[in-house]
Amino acid sequence: MEAALEAEGIEKAFKNRRALTGVDLVVPRGTCFGLIGVNGAGKTTFIKTLLGIVTPSAGSIRVLGGAPDDVRVRARIGYLPERLALPGAWTATTYLASIARLKRLADPPLEPLLARVGLASARHVKTRAYSKGMKQRLGLAAALLGRPDLLVLDEPTDGVDPIGRAEVRDILREEQARGATIFLNSHLLSETERICDRIGILHAGAIVLSGTMRELATSHTRWVVRFAAPRDDLAALGFVPRDDGAHTIEAEDEAALNAALDRARGSGALLTALHRDTRDLEAILRGEVER
Amino acid sequence: MTTLFVALDVLREAASRRWLLALFALIAALLVAVGLSLEMRVVDGALAAVRLFGEEQPSVEVQSVEVALRPLFRGASFFIFYGGLFFGALVTADFAPSLLAPGRIEHLLSLPVRRSSLLLGTYLGVVVIAATAFLFAAGGFVVVLGVKTDAYVVELIYAGLLGALTFAALYGAMLTSAVFVRSAAASAFIGLMLFVAGVVASFRYQISPSFSSDLARRVFEAVSMVVPPVATVGNLAMEIAASAPVDTGGLASRMAGMVIFGAAMVALGIWRFERMDF
Repeated sequence: MEAALEAEGIEKAFKNRRALTGVDLVVPRGTCFGLIGVNGAGKTTFIKTLLGIVTPSAGSIRVLGGAPDDVRVRARIGYLPERLALPGAWTATTYLASIARLKRLADPPLEPLLARVGLASARHVKTRAYSKGMKQRLGLAAALLGRPDLLVLDEPTDGVDPIGRAEVRDILREEQARGATIFLNSHLLSETERICDRIGILHAGAIVLSGTMRELATSHTRWVVRFAAPRDDLAALGFVPRDDGAHTIEAEDEAALNAALDRARGSGALLTALHRDTRDLEAILRGEVER
Repeated sequence: MTTLFVALDVLREAASRRWLLALFALIAALLVAVGLSLEMRVVDGALAAVRLFGEEQPSVEVQSVEVALRPLFRGASFFIFYGGLFFGALVTADFAPSLLAPGRIEHLLSLPVRRSSLLLGTYLGVVVIAATAFLFAAGGFVVVLGVKTDAYVVELIYAGLLGALTFAALYGAMLTSAVFVRSAAASAFIGLMLFVAGVVASFRYQISPSFSSDLARRVFEAVSMVVPPVATVGNLAMEIAASAPVDTGGLASRMAGMVIFGAAMVALGIWRFERMDF
């Protein structure tokens, strides 16, 4: 599949710190990619390098097949920054009309777009009266202008109410369905988990883990085992009891797993269920950060 | 084309700023006050009597309106030129830092707009705002005094244009300072500093001999040579407004110097802006 984003060895050093230490990442077209990481991991800096807002100290980036500072490439990108500052005396319609002109869009329909992000009734209100969530919605509308091939969204649901978050999720799904690639940075891991089909973990300026949600969530060494009756003596054989009555066991490979199961069966335990352990995104992130 | 769109956005933003509208309202109020307080009796094209705020001006001699009003046009030009530069520096200082504000500049840079267009558009927009204010004030004086005397002295418009051109040079430095420090206060400070330095630089030949140190004198001469000679141009504006003869060659070279200074400042700002991370 052709890549929407290709980053190779991206480094960025500021005066006192190294924000990015060598980011390698490929995001296929048409996917919804979620970038997660703790504060200061370098997520926003990386997003800015994708858009040509920050120039990397080393490495190469290709976005939609071109350089990030190429205006033809940027014409195909919709971006919502983390903290969007709006001209306070402008209305939503004035603001979107301005962005449309700068994107060189000839008379795009603004009213349906505002309705889509839930701002139809506030379209004539000056943005200085907008809440944080309303500003995010307007920023999302600006990013959606012109049906971009790539949407780069930095904390799109920050400050948005729960109903609004669901609406934003729906919009992103619609955008992905029409073929757009979505690059999402969010601290809301549950949101990321629900929306994204690929995840990357950025830690200390580098991608430490990347893949589909299924790949990341599924453990390769930890298994969940259920026996017919609870047995306390299984702990001595390496089976760790869980609150739900099941046990987990660490096994490097299938041979080790079968050896452990043979030992359990040898002690009289009857196996009723076996599957790989899965973790949620929070557990995955914690695991990578604490490693 | 995008440069023009950015400039138009600056104008739209200006139109929605109350304090900028207040500046225009202030100019209009001043013009109305002058119009209402000044009474002139003109007989056969000659000024026979002047009443200011109801008081008869005793020293008025019967003479041609154009000649009699020269001091008034000089004063009006002085007010427009220096007042325009001073208030212009204060009122427009916020535009570039506002464009470069965190959360706004990132979004603008993600759009298919060249960085140079963003800066040039902002420069163009602000200069158009300032020129409008200069011409509004100058045109207002022409109309008010014209209505009072039937003598429409359009030279005051030229004086307004000189003020606008001088402001354009100063704003080049203000814009560039905003790129470096992103502060409205710093931008205004640079504008006002240049304004004062420009007045001082206009008298460089008179001031220079007062330096006892040869090095200090050379430094002063070098610095004052670069700074736009604000007072020199201001005096030329007053001479033009009073229909006095001016050295057109000297005026042209001063104006060329202003344009070069402003262009150099904007070029420096663009050079820096192109290399900045946000």
